[in-house]
Amino acid sequence: MNLQRIRMAPPRYWLVGVVVLFLIGFPTVISSFLASEWAQALILAIAIMGLNILVGYSGQLSLGHGAFMALGAYISAILAHHYKVDYLLTIPIAGLATGLVGFLFGIPALRLSPLYLALATFALAVVTPSLIKRPAGLTGGVQGIGVVQPDPPGAVSNIFSTITGTAMTSDQWIYYVSLFCALVLFWVAWNIVRHRPGRAMRAIRDGEVAAAASGVNVRGFKTLAFGLSAFYGGVAGSLYGLSTGFVSPDTFPVSLSIQLLVGAVVGGLASIPGPLAGAIFAYFLPIESSQWVPNQSWIPAQIAATVKNAGPAVSYGVILIVIMIFAPNGLVGLARSGYSLLNRRLRGATDRETGQMPPDPQTV
Amino acid sequence: MQEFLQQLVGGLAIGGIFASLALALVLIYNAMGLVNFAQGEMAMLATFVAYALVSQGMSYWIAFPVTLVLAFAGGIGVQRLVIKPVERAPILTLVIITLGLATLVNGLAGFIWGYVPRSFPSPFSSDSVDLVGVFVSYRDLGVIAVSGIVLLAVYLLLQRTTVGLTLRAAAHHPEASRLLGVHVSWMLALGWGLASAVGAVSGIMVAPILLLEPNMMQSIIIYAFAAAVLGGIESPPGAVVGGLIVGVTINLAGAYLPFVGGDLQLAVGLAIIIGVLILKPNGLFGRAAVRRV
Amino acid sequence: MALLELEEVRAGYGPTSVLHGISLEVPEGGVVSLLGANGAGKTTTLRAITGGVRWTGDIRFRGHSLRRMATEEIVRRGIAHVPEGRGICTELTVDENLRLGSHLRRDGPEVKKDYDRVFEYFPVLKQRRRLSASTLSGGEQQMLALARAFLMRPKLMLLDEPSLGLAPIIVRSIFEIIRSINETSQVAVLLVEQNARIALDLSMTAYVLEVGRVAVHGAAAELRGDDSVRRSYLGY
Repeated sequence: MNLQRIRMAPPRYWLVGVVVLFLIGFPTVISSFLASEWAQALILAIAIMGLNILVGYSGQLSLGHGAFMALGAYISAILAHHYKVDYLLTIPIAGLATGLVGFLFGIPALRLSPLYLALATFALAVVTPSLIKRPAGLTGGVQGIGVVQPDPPGAVSNIFSTITGTAMTSDQWIYYVSLFCALVLFWVAWNIVRHRPGRAMRAIRDGEVAAAASGVNVRGFKTLAFGLSAFYGGVAGSLYGLSTGFVSPDTFPVSLSIQLLVGAVVGGLASIPGPLAGAIFAYFLPIESSQWVPNQSWIPAQIAATVKNAGPAVSYGVILIVIMIFAPNGLVGLARSGYSLLNRRLRGATDRETGQMPPDPQTV
Repeated sequence: MQEFLQQLVGGLAIGGIFASLALALVLIYNAMGLVNFAQGEMAMLATFVAYALVSQGMSYWIAFPVTLVLAFAGGIGVQRLVIKPVERAPILTLVIITLGLATLVNGLAGFIWGYVPRSFPSPFSSDSVDLVGVFVSYRDLGVIAVSGIVLLAVYLLLQRTTVGLTLRAAAHHPEASRLLGVHVSWMLALGWGLASAVGAVSGIMVAPILLLEPNMMQSIIIYAFAAAVLGGIESPPGAVVGGLIVGVTINLAGAYLPFVGGDLQLAVGLAIIIGVLILKPNGLFGRAAVRRV
Repeated sequence: MALLELEEVRAGYGPTSVLHGISLEVPEGGVVSLLGANGAGKTTTLRAITGGVRWTGDIRFRGHSLRRMATEEIVRRGIAHVPEGRGICTELTVDENLRLGSHLRRDGPEVKKDYDRVFEYFPVLKQRRRLSASTLSGGEQQMLALARAFLMRPKLMLLDEPSLGLAPIIVRSIFEIIRSINETSQVAVLLVEQNARIALDLSMTAYVLEVGRVAVHGAAAELRGDDSVRRSYLGY
């Protein structure tokens, strides 16, 4: 890449670069525990990106994404625990297997109207914990399966200690594994969206009949979207097991699927940065509302107590409703309109930029 | 044989509960083409309200209608505050809003009453009565009776009164109804109120069985979805028939299919949903898409 | 003061303007035709009156402006509008459709008399009372729409292309009934029609719309007799 292209890159790319560097350097300055929390936020971002591909880009509303995470998590855990496969190897395996299941799932899903698809996937999400508990021999039933968290490999650990002066913990290593997966998968998603598959999916989302009439392979792309979405969910689930150290039926209740949807919507559907913003919001809101908020002296005690006790559910619900009514394009949408508004003001918008046609000097 | 009949009656009783919630779903679907994912949680909240009234000393048979009235008002409130502002939004936006509502109501109930299950009174004794040689519990008969009365009342309201007529007209033909002087917007609110009241009945009937707690209706709503889809999402009689069929099916499946047991009954509900949507998406009584004028 | 007055009414759909300043009047008990080619703005004019489209200018009914009023409110003041396509509620029975017409009225005995009149005019509706309205033929649906409007006991009926898609013999009988309703019950009629001849036979005055403006207006008898008007605007 020559210097010319670097200088010509739009400001967005610089922002992405900054964020990536920040995320790479982050664990060196925060505690190991915080690193594990941020790892989980990144994992959620991967899952939400998968959901975003399905809902935001191809317009199919699935409320059962948690089920894909569960599948990926259990595949990894079972392979590692029963068959002694190296955990890091199980991640792509779990992803691909879940992706295949998702693709197959997408075939009957083609016949369902959007409302019915939402209904069926919602039912799936509710039933998932029961379905997991049953084959207890394989899944460990209610107890679940424990996941051994690996130590960081020697080389990486040495680099880390040289920079920070402390030994690298498992949690920090897991953070970097998650970050690596997130960067790769976000990059893949960005490419998919930019090129033909993305355009096809958006055409389908905006009008299936018109898309089909324009020669888009509607069935193919819709099932592809399901498969991709499930792949991301499977990888996220697998990483999730790694990060928490175990998998159990109770880790994947219907509220997880809701949390993922909240993250996707709040972050901003049909955008690449959206899932990251949404994941940070969805993951940290419950934690901060019960910890950070009550400790702030400038928030009146009454409000703080209510926020703390009411719990994340009320906040999620209210925010979801408010966002859908006032800002259906989520945080990224708000940021974009805010940015373009600012841009126009700062540059002194002329008539041409606000979309008015200038008077044509040739007409009489 | 005895046991089979008992399970059958039990299935009809739980089926009546499913039918009430399914009817609520169908009423709103008919009015707006939307499945209200929050219907179960709204019913749960109404049941908690009933609980609060009874705990304050109100007699059950007074608290019951009072709760229905409050649920009715609540339904209207939800429509006015949350749904009306986004009336013209795409369906998926509305679905997500109802999900937000469900989450909110669930959290609210948890916040006010906590998550410890409470026992909820039933006005029917748990004794059994000998009915043509079969022992059936008063409780099951009572639930069947109450559900039956409520469903009949809704039927009469919709089919035999002017209000019901304008409700139906506004739901299926909003533009034409406006030209006939019908306040379509109010009718929509009324539809939500009615649905909320009918849904509340299912909550009150099921609470003595399941114990009252915020997550009580999460499985019931799945069965109600199955019932509505089975009967045909646009068909009120379909919701009732669907409810009874689903109730009897899961009861018998739980009793006679060894691998199903108690916890996989819900999977049977899921199987019904998926099966119907794949094999006969319009359900038993539904028709192909209706054009609304 | 006429029953209905439109003054310099402009209306359109989004950025497209359809009416560019229409003025017309309907006197009490009168029959007025609104004629013109497709796209001239006839349906839009009726829609503006009952609030189905945004407009500027003024529209007054019985002296009161209808600006900013909701459709239901306008209709409740005494205007019945049978739209293009008739607006039959196909999910309901014939009887239920009729009841929607009369549901706002409080004068029981009069309502019964009006039902008797309706069944006299349209015996087929009485026969098919309990059947779904979707089973009616085009002509029968037009009768139902008219009957329903009549049962509202309006002061003014807006009829949008009542002859559309109907056999001539049915059209004649329907127009006879419209005339009868107008003469016996003093219901004013504003009639949009492409079939100018039959419309002019029925009306007292007529307005011919062209591209959103009133091109010609006057007594129906004069317009009927004026050859140039007939050829240029009315197509016969």
